[in-house]
Amino acid sequence: MFINNFFLYILLLPKSVYQNMGVNTHHLKAILTAKLIMDDRRPNSVHQTQKKKNAKPIKWATLGTMLMSTFLGLFFIISFFITKDTVTQFFLFFTFFIFLLASTLISDFTNVLIDIRDNAIILPKPINDKTFLLARLLHIVIHVSKLVLPMTMPSLITVGIIHGTKGVIFLIFLVPPATLFTIFLINALYIFILKVTTPEKFKSIISYFQIAFAILIYGSYQIVPRLINKSALANYQFPQTALSLFVPPFWFAGGWEFLYHMNTSLVLIIAFIFSLAMPALSIWIVIKYFAPSFNQKLAMISGSDASESVNPTNVISASNQKPFAESIANLFTKKGAERMGFLHAWYITSRSRDFKMRVYPAIGYLLVYMVIMILQSRKGALEELQNQTLSGKLIFLGGIYFISFVIISALTQIKYSDKYKASTIFYTSPISIPGHIISGAVKATIIKFYMPLAITVSLLGVTLVGIKILPNLLLGMSNQLCICFLIAYVSFVEMPFSRTESITVKTGSFIRGIISMIIPLGMATLHFLIYDYQVAILLLLALSSTAVWLVAGSVYNKTWSDLKVGYQD
Amino acid sequence: MEPIIELNEVHKSYGEKAVLKGINLSINAGQVIGYIGPNGAGKSTTVKILCGLISDYEGTVTVAGINLKEDPVSVKRKIGYVPELAELYDVLTPVEFLGLMAELYDIPKPIATDRIEKMLTAFDLASNMNNRMDTFSKGMKQKVLITSGLLHNPDIIILDEPLSGLDANSVIIVKDLISKLAKDGKTIFYCSHMMDVVEKVSDRIILINEGQVIADGSFAELQAQQGNESLEKIFAHLTATSSLGEAANDLMKAFD
Repeated sequence: MFINNFFLYILLLPKSVYQNMGVNTHHLKAILTAKLIMDDRRPNSVHQTQKKKNAKPIKWATLGTMLMSTFLGLFFIISFFITKDTVTQFFLFFTFFIFLLASTLISDFTNVLIDIRDNAIILPKPINDKTFLLARLLHIVIHVSKLVLPMTMPSLITVGIIHGTKGVIFLIFLVPPATLFTIFLINALYIFILKVTTPEKFKSIISYFQIAFAILIYGSYQIVPRLINKSALANYQFPQTALSLFVPPFWFAGGWEFLYHMNTSLVLIIAFIFSLAMPALSIWIVIKYFAPSFNQKLAMISGSDASESVNPTNVISASNQKPFAESIANLFTKKGAERMGFLHAWYITSRSRDFKMRVYPAIGYLLVYMVIMILQSRKGALEELQNQTLSGKLIFLGGIYFISFVIISALTQIKYSDKYKASTIFYTSPISIPGHIISGAVKATIIKFYMPLAITVSLLGVTLVGIKILPNLLLGMSNQLCICFLIAYVSFVEMPFSRTESITVKTGSFIRGIISMIIPLGMATLHFLIYDYQVAILLLLALSSTAVWLVAGSVYNKTWSDLKVGYQD
Repeated sequence: MEPIIELNEVHKSYGEKAVLKGINLSINAGQVIGYIGPNGAGKSTTVKILCGLISDYEGTVTVAGINLKEDPVSVKRKIGYVPELAELYDVLTPVEFLGLMAELYDIPKPIATDRIEKMLTAFDLASNMNNRMDTFSKGMKQKVLITSGLLHNPDIIILDEPLSGLDANSVIIVKDLISKLAKDGKTIFYCSHMMDVVEKVSDRIILINEGQVIADGSFAELQAQQGNESLEKIFAHLTATSSLGEAANDLMKAFD
């Protein structure tokens, strides 16, 4: 690909320098070429939470990463328009830059830094340490450049228009130290995570960062523009005091101000010195103090050493889940297959990183939605809710029915597993009614992903509005349960965790998807129309409760002939 | 004759745990060595030391007269390694992956291209050589790994469970290949739990347990020492902490 070839060409220009250092440039080029091809075919931070929704192999991931970085970079332009003070403008720019670059690197860096396969594939080959290390370093440089260049491009153009060539040159001069400082932050964070947790849990924690990143991006684009309209940022000036020197983005903002306006205020001069010295110092700290233990820890993640040692804390934490899950299972399921289905789904949804990656962002999006609803109300969300105005009713119903999308996401995902072949247990054991297992799994998902959210919304509703909201609350919850079981009944045509997402069910999957979306929307609309008619609410509540009982029973009694997908080999 | 591989008092510990407790081995060129032992005995650690994956060991390792610690790159050039797990960059195609391996061993491109094509064809992978390996079965990946270990025609071949995941026909090919490579003067260091295969292909069997060599000799010599038994029984006799027959009985008792 052109972009990869371009980076490769540029970075291999000082060939003779590398050769003088003892690097084998043929090996270096071969490793980097392979790594860049792999980067192109590997999911990036955006793909991480969406992967496997289609089974097509990923191509051109580099282009995707760069486009996404440009998209993020467009967001930075806001910095130059919401305030008149240039120090504040650049302070905001560098805050966004450091924060978003760090967030992106946290999720993507693991693949670059910790490719455990290098140990088995590259290290036994006759390449010298210097070549291997330089290959890794240059791979990181290319990876970071692919993010930083497009991320800063929109701001460089904007600064060029506002402040001319001189402004652009000074910004270009300050971006590399800001990047180095961000890498230091990531490194320090990795070291911290590795210090407080086991190497085995490291990747799980990084996964949570990836989830948080996906939510953050979604939230930023939804919420920040709404905040800006209302804020008094236009006349805000970031204080140029000694205390500001404790805030890293100020170093770079102050540095730009010093260079561009030749503003010789002492704080700005110190900020400029810090903008160059601190990244240099931080990289020295990384090399001198972090790198040795870091490499050792990375080896523990990647090497066999970690797998040879049994971590007793994992064993304890896993066994601690049992009494709680079993108590819940005893409360909500019948003994036998349903209980087994419940516990099986409960444990897997707790421990599968892939499942969390696909479902947890939906919960984050719900929170973002709630914030948006609150921001959109004119008088203030609490007042609107308390007075049960039109907007207040919409916020309340939105809160209740938007949970559907979380539970739909979770219910959809409990069909899939990377270890789908383990579902042989369902097909080889003498289960006469598979619906029992499905019902158990559905109940586990509802209790785990719906109940906490429903309880939160209920408590908020009763606290803010009072008990007069109870009929609507109960109807909303009953409708939710009805939706869950209806979706389970319509869309569950296989055993839980028995499919890969690459295996598509052709028969009616589109229709099932549409129904899954229409049902909650339809119910919410109907609920809104009868919101103030207590008799109608109570009548519908009775109907809805009966429907829950009937549909849950239908799920429980699903037979083998109702299932459209058998064991996938 | 100077040994091609020599290990003198090799020790290796992970923290407090000593994995190798003074391994001494002297292996001549052209031998097929069956290197066996129970899980955790230290087999993989020995292999990783030989391949240059672990460098913080005590003792001396010499390969073809070269001290491993002093010149690991030259040693690696002489070794072909097929790891236990199908570790490869599976988003690459076999041609891309093996192309990278060829570059790292400095094999001229025309030779590498020709060799890759011939070897993949022999392994029945010709039609898949330009497909990404993430869709391959374990056996197909294993065939690519074996090809990568042999691509540079090394003097020493280290095979760690090479038959894992292979179909019956491929197993026959690899077993036959081992014999032919040995006849060609290659030294083969073969680690496996498949005792019947080790028994058949090895000139010499080294049994390691708890970081120490506990038996070393040809299959006939081991039989002479331990009674006229199969390698499986000799292995069990030397390494099992309790009677395996009793363990089976205990399992059966669980149904009572």
